[in-house]
Amino acid sequence: MKNIRLPMSPEDAAGLKLGEMVTVSGMLFTGRSRFHIRAIEDDIYPEIDYEKINCFFHVGPVMRQNGDAWEVVSCEPTSSIRFERYGADVVRKFNLRTLIGKTTMGQATAQALKETGGVFLSKIGLSGNALRDQVKKVHEVHFLDELGKTECTWIYEVDHFGPFFVAIDASGRNYFEELAAEANARMPEVEQDLDIPADYRYTEVNG
Amino acid sequence: MIKQETITEAMYNAIRLGATRMPPDIRAALQKALAEETEPMAKKHLEVSLQNADMSEKGNGLVCADTGFPMYFVHAGRKTEVEGGFNTIYECAAAATARATAECFLRPTMVDPLTRKNPGDNIGPGMPKVELIFDRDDDSLEILAAPKGGGSEIFGTFYRMMFPADGKAGIKKFVIECIKDACYAGKVCPPAIIGVGIGGTADLCMSLAKKAALLRPVGSHHPDPEVAALETELYNACRKLGIGPMGSRGINAVLAINLDTAVTHTAALPVAVNAQCLVGRRWIARIDGKGNINYSGDLA
Repeated sequence: MKNIRLPMSPEDAAGLKLGEMVTVSGMLFTGRSRFHIRAIEDDIYPEIDYEKINCFFHVGPVMRQNGDAWEVVSCEPTSSIRFERYGADVVRKFNLRTLIGKTTMGQATAQALKETGGVFLSKIGLSGNALRDQVKKVHEVHFLDELGKTECTWIYEVDHFGPFFVAIDASGRNYFEELAAEANARMPEVEQDLDIPADYRYTEVNG
Repeated sequence: MIKQETITEAMYNAIRLGATRMPPDIRAALQKALAEETEPMAKKHLEVSLQNADMSEKGNGLVCADTGFPMYFVHAGRKTEVEGGFNTIYECAAAATARATAECFLRPTMVDPLTRKNPGDNIGPGMPKVELIFDRDDDSLEILAAPKGGGSEIFGTFYRMMFPADGKAGIKKFVIECIKDACYAGKVCPPAIIGVGIGGTADLCMSLAKKAALLRPVGSHHPDPEVAALETELYNACRKLGIGPMGSRGINAVLAINLDTAVTHTAALPVAVNAQCLVGRRWIARIDGKGNINYSGDLA
């Protein structure tokens, strides 16, 4: 399995195959809905060097404070598809080449990643405890008071973080969209098994 | 008379254990699914999830870091007496939830829906959710605590008001379409436990679906043979979708499909779907009339 250094180079991203498992090492930043909405609607975002800290990890970690230091209790990637409304704008605004999350993202974000030469990595199983052990250091936290521990932005240094799999590759192909097409193609047969007539329609009561 | 402090302690331990342990029937069902899957990615999703639960059970983290909506289902008997009256159970649930959050067993996840303000303790109007169910004859109190993940609740909730002419075909079509949508890209964290409510009012229908997903052991069947047959038919059909763990290629999109019914209006056929995620988090505290507490991940 490849281990890729962050920030991910366009060459490394281009070399990742759809569905391939991979780990990453280096610096990343976290965020969820509030990051996306504020960055685009209000132009408010953490002041970090996005060229160096270029990997956006979609997560609301469980964090515990020990004196002045913060430690991760568990960090499970969250459903990235929720951020699709702002996904493409965020990728372009910060020139992101690595997104890590759960599920997938839509066609607009895939197009933006194609432009930056980036990829979307999706989680494998539930792995929040193993991922915690791969966070070597919690460097900074931004907007903790305003957004709370779950929605604020944490800066992590990670080592062999993952594995994740390539759910959107640098050419814009989407693993899950291809699987969904397969499931849709199976639906008529499944409905036949369930004795649902091929021309079945729910009763329509609206004009 | 069961003391308030006993109830708070039972609720705290039940939600803490719920967040850090995998119920035995869920573990067995995931291991069975792992044995059935042949695609490497499908197997990997399950292996990793089981390892994650092992780490948590050894005191090292959480079964899932999204501890979601804090919920308590409380069964009481005809002879159950609670110090200060049954209303105090809501206060006990709030105290238990705030403590579990402060100790990092629960993530501070509950926010105001409009201002999005996070109080940091998972407490607010309506939360934690407490449902009192008076269905016992004795003097006990049984508390099931379920930290229910956002994925399953947000992406796994569907409702449709159908009509008598839509019939069983309509019910089956709706359920199978919901499962396909819920499992797309692993949104509800499959293999899911799918609860289906049929009948009642809109809210009762959804409540049936939620309880069917959360309060039944995996592998159980509805006592009515006609309903049980529908469960089996839907379960078998679902395994042919080609959807597996976390939305990968595979067989196990679901661990179980649990139906429940209520009588409804002669003009109506309401159907609700509510999913529970693969780790099926719940833990149960059983308090007898003398105040002794027993904890278990097993549903009776």
